[in-house]
Amino acid sequence: MDFLAHWGLTLSVFLPIVGAALIAFTPKEQEKTIKFLSLAFTFLPLVVGVLLLRVYHIGMTGMQLETNRSWIPSIGARYHVGIDGISLPLLELTLLVTFLCAIYSLKWLPEPHNPKGFLALMLLLETGMAGTFIALDLVLFFIFWELVLVPMYFMIGLWGGPRREYAAIKFFLYTLFGSVFMLLGFLALYFRASPHTFDVLQLQRIGPSLPSGIQNLIFLGMGIGFAIKVPMWPFHTWLPDAHTEAPTVGSVLLAAILLKMGTYGFLRISIPIMPHAARTYAPLIGALAVIAIVYAALNCLAQTDLKRLIAFSSVGHMGFVMLGIATLTQIGVNAAVFGMVAHGVITGMLFFIAGSIHERYHTREIPQLGGMALRLPILGGLLAFTAIASLGLPGLAGFWGEVLALLSSYNPLSALSSHTFRVYMVAGGIGTVLTAGYLLWMIQRVNLGKVPAQWEGKKLVDVQPLEMVAWAPLLLLTLGLGLFPRLIFDVTTHSVIGLTKLLGG
Amino acid sequence: MQIDYAAVAPELVLTGALCIVLVVDLVLPDNRKGLIMPVSLLGVAGTLLALLALAGDPTRTTLGGMFVVDSFAVTLKILFCVAALLTLAMSYDYLRKEGIHQGEFYFLLLCSLLGMLTIASSRDLLPIFVSLELVSVPAFVLAGLQKIDVKSNEAALKFFLFSILSTAVMLFGMSLIYGITGTTNLAEIAVRLAATPVLRSIAVLSVFFVVVGFGFKISAFPFQWWVPDTYEGSPVPVAAFLSVASKTAGFVGLLQIMFIAFHGLADVWRPFIAAVAILTMTFGNLVALTQRHIVRLLAYSSIGQAGYILLPLAVVNVNGGSVNHEAFAASIAYLLIYAFMEMGAFSVAVAYGREGGYFIDDYAGLGYRAPGLAVVMTVFLFSLAGIPPLAGWAAKLFIFRAVIDGHEYWLAVAMAVNTVIALFYYAKVVRRMFFEPAGDGPLGVKVPLLLQATIAVSTVMVLLVGILPDLAAHLARMSTLV
Amino acid sequence: MPKGYFGEYLTLAFFAGMMLLLVAGTLGLNKLVSPKVHRDEKYLTYECGVDPVGGGWSQTQIRYYLFGLLFVVFDVEAVFLFPWAVVFDKLGTAAFVEMVIFIGILALGLAYAWRKKVLEWL
Repeated sequence: MDFLAHWGLTLSVFLPIVGAALIAFTPKEQEKTIKFLSLAFTFLPLVVGVLLLRVYHIGMTGMQLETNRSWIPSIGARYHVGIDGISLPLLELTLLVTFLCAIYSLKWLPEPHNPKGFLALMLLLETGMAGTFIALDLVLFFIFWELVLVPMYFMIGLWGGPRREYAAIKFFLYTLFGSVFMLLGFLALYFRASPHTFDVLQLQRIGPSLPSGIQNLIFLGMGIGFAIKVPMWPFHTWLPDAHTEAPTVGSVLLAAILLKMGTYGFLRISIPIMPHAARTYAPLIGALAVIAIVYAALNCLAQTDLKRLIAFSSVGHMGFVMLGIATLTQIGVNAAVFGMVAHGVITGMLFFIAGSIHERYHTREIPQLGGMALRLPILGGLLAFTAIASLGLPGLAGFWGEVLALLSSYNPLSALSSHTFRVYMVAGGIGTVLTAGYLLWMIQRVNLGKVPAQWEGKKLVDVQPLEMVAWAPLLLLTLGLGLFPRLIFDVTTHSVIGLTKLLGG
Repeated sequence: MQIDYAAVAPELVLTGALCIVLVVDLVLPDNRKGLIMPVSLLGVAGTLLALLALAGDPTRTTLGGMFVVDSFAVTLKILFCVAALLTLAMSYDYLRKEGIHQGEFYFLLLCSLLGMLTIASSRDLLPIFVSLELVSVPAFVLAGLQKIDVKSNEAALKFFLFSILSTAVMLFGMSLIYGITGTTNLAEIAVRLAATPVLRSIAVLSVFFVVVGFGFKISAFPFQWWVPDTYEGSPVPVAAFLSVASKTAGFVGLLQIMFIAFHGLADVWRPFIAAVAILTMTFGNLVALTQRHIVRLLAYSSIGQAGYILLPLAVVNVNGGSVNHEAFAASIAYLLIYAFMEMGAFSVAVAYGREGGYFIDDYAGLGYRAPGLAVVMTVFLFSLAGIPPLAGWAAKLFIFRAVIDGHEYWLAVAMAVNTVIALFYYAKVVRRMFFEPAGDGPLGVKVPLLLQATIAVSTVMVLLVGILPDLAAHLARMSTLV
Repeated sequence: MPKGYFGEYLTLAFFAGMMLLLVAGTLGLNKLVSPKVHRDEKYLTYECGVDPVGGGWSQTQIRYYLFGLLFVVFDVEAVFLFPWAVVFDKLGTAAFVEMVIFIGILALGLAYAWRKKVLEWL
């Protein structure tokens, strides 16, 4: 147990990269070995992740399971990792979803067929994603953050749809553009802090006393990096392309986890270290979030490509998360973390379904589908279930994040103008209606109506057992988190209280 | 005058090796010339051993203070020797296949290396100048060694003319300095410049000339015009040697002069250097976007990289000089890391070029035909682009660090934007290699053993330093002059 | 002398200006004051007063160039040898060894030229 407490996090993050190395040295022809390795090296981290829950004290504020070792002494960067209530759910989500992707990949691999490359990249991606959520040193955080870029670039560019090269390089350039500014922000923070440090926890103590002008500047630099990743309107334009062109597993990981890195960055780094700047920018962030919600919903109404629709819906859902964060209140931030997990589960599931639909119909054009509930009742049922969860039906996971985010913006942090945020609340409410509108309309067009003539007499296979295995945990979580939101809130609340204290809430 | 022979031992060993190489070349019949290569390799290895014996010793000064062996000198000399070893390993099969005179090649390469070794120890304008010429003159011939190739002739001639011009300008600057201070010793120049404020204007003039002169050597804008043509026309290993070792030698001279002799005038030259650095990286990266030849792409990218290395000079003496040490270390660390990623990229170009060609179009689908080669090329290109956890990332971090420490936020932002532009053309090559169908190029490229070794060493260094950047950072911090 | 930050650069501008002025001035002055008398002889190639034979462009054996180079090398050697010889008795054996090495390296160059058949005249 002692070993687990000290090295469990490190183990869960670096096991996948070991798996990637093993796969790299396995001959291309031995597909079974490769698939087994990918399964094993996503399952083992998940096991470690579950064991970590046993040594993690839920009722405690602050960081736990920390490891703090010397790494680059000459620039003052350390290998410092640890988790609290905000990062724990995201870490577990990462480990789970990647494992499910590995299961899904046992049978469904994107063309061109190259399991070795694809699975090795997926494992590399997992290390980057999981590492981002545990890093407590800015340089370490940056490395993990950037580690995600290359595998995702190749995933989209190699196995993506027709416009994959454009989407891949757009994703790469946008994110790199954001992250170099983030890095400049980190360095500026380092030199402004005395003593100079990259340690997030130390900076949380030092940062708030920095002059407000400096805080605003640094917050802006980092904010560009995080906002592009979230993505916040108007930095979102890479997302629909990347999502639409990426292979199924790529889309799932992108939606379920990558987007969370941006919001997590705000919660872990920008806001607690620079509370003054956070209060300054909160109305702006709130405004952009609300614009994203309404804009994404309107866009969704006009989409004909199923994946593109889900991609735009992600922009909207992340808007709710950002709105919750912008209120800087305990309820708002709790709602944001819940929204992140819920969005990961639900939208990940939606992308799985979209991938399976594409697998069967070889198209994602909504007008060409139609009547799916007749031909493929189980798949149609799952689509309806997940889409309804996504629109925020009470009793399912999507509900809590959205409704609490709206609720918290009725009464934001006392330093913020409650009038402004009430306007946001109303606009967000309209967004919710529009969200329900486009999702229900999508269900109607895909599931109901007549089966188009081109599918008559064609054999279409309904959900297969392996798909069910890969999806069941997500479906159960959708229902479970909806019925028992305390599963998440109990974990997050203490850490969120710690965070909002820093803000004077 | 007593000479400290231990201090000059590496140079003596190399000089001996040079003579042996020449003799061996004279006695060997034409079909056995390949044997010169192991002799040269042994010579450089011996030099390296002599250097390692000096590592960690206290500073030695000899030849009347002109020749200093300190950690700065030893570190950079080791770097030069390693670069020469990699170049030797890279050249062997290339020369045999292209039918280039091997004896002359190795002899000239070692001559150039000798100049690099002495420049790292020179703390006086005269030996700096002589060493720089010793670096350049053999390089002219090396560039034109493919005698019957018109492009190689063009390469040599362009290189020669530009270099001579720059040398003349630099010499004029040095003569002005000697005129107003009456000394050529770098440290002494700084003292006397501070003592004679009346002649400051002429001093500024001479700094300007010296920077222009070095600007040609390090391919800084607007003195970089020779670089793409020379790199493209030269034998490819020579291009690699020029872009790594020769450029580093130029930086070594420039850093010494700026930090030791001219740091008192930093307030004046800092904005000038900043402008040159930003223009250099922007020009290199923008023009690289349109390149179709891999060596030209690497040439323009090396211009961009020169801009990054130059940038820390733009924060010298801000805050009363508190960042000088970090700035110096940042440039050194970048040079150390740059050598391996650039050498690696060139080795892959050599390995593939013979069978596959040197145009970026020829790389289409390489990921399916020679996956190993394509993967290591990706590693080097992404390292040059600065993607973690590869070494190039750490190099850029050190530069950013120094610049932000000096509160020059705008320079950092300009460099950040450049990093993004640069990614685009590096990713372009990667895209050709992986995102396009196999094409009709050669299937499964055979890489000679020595070339494999070059690639392996570079890859290991790029990965190792990427994960443990302290290796480079620590060495660089030990090896500064301020 | 101009002071201040831009003052320092002013020197540079002043220098550049003077440079241009000097070149333009001398050339211009030359144009203005020089007498211009056109005669056919003025356009002939100068050959010590003798009437030129053939055109202005003629080829020279490239070997002259190599001989020239070798000559310069040994010419410069002499420059070092004379002062060394003058104070030889005060320098001791170390200086003797050093000079032998120096000449040895030059001799190696000569040997190289000989082996590469530079010394043969066709």
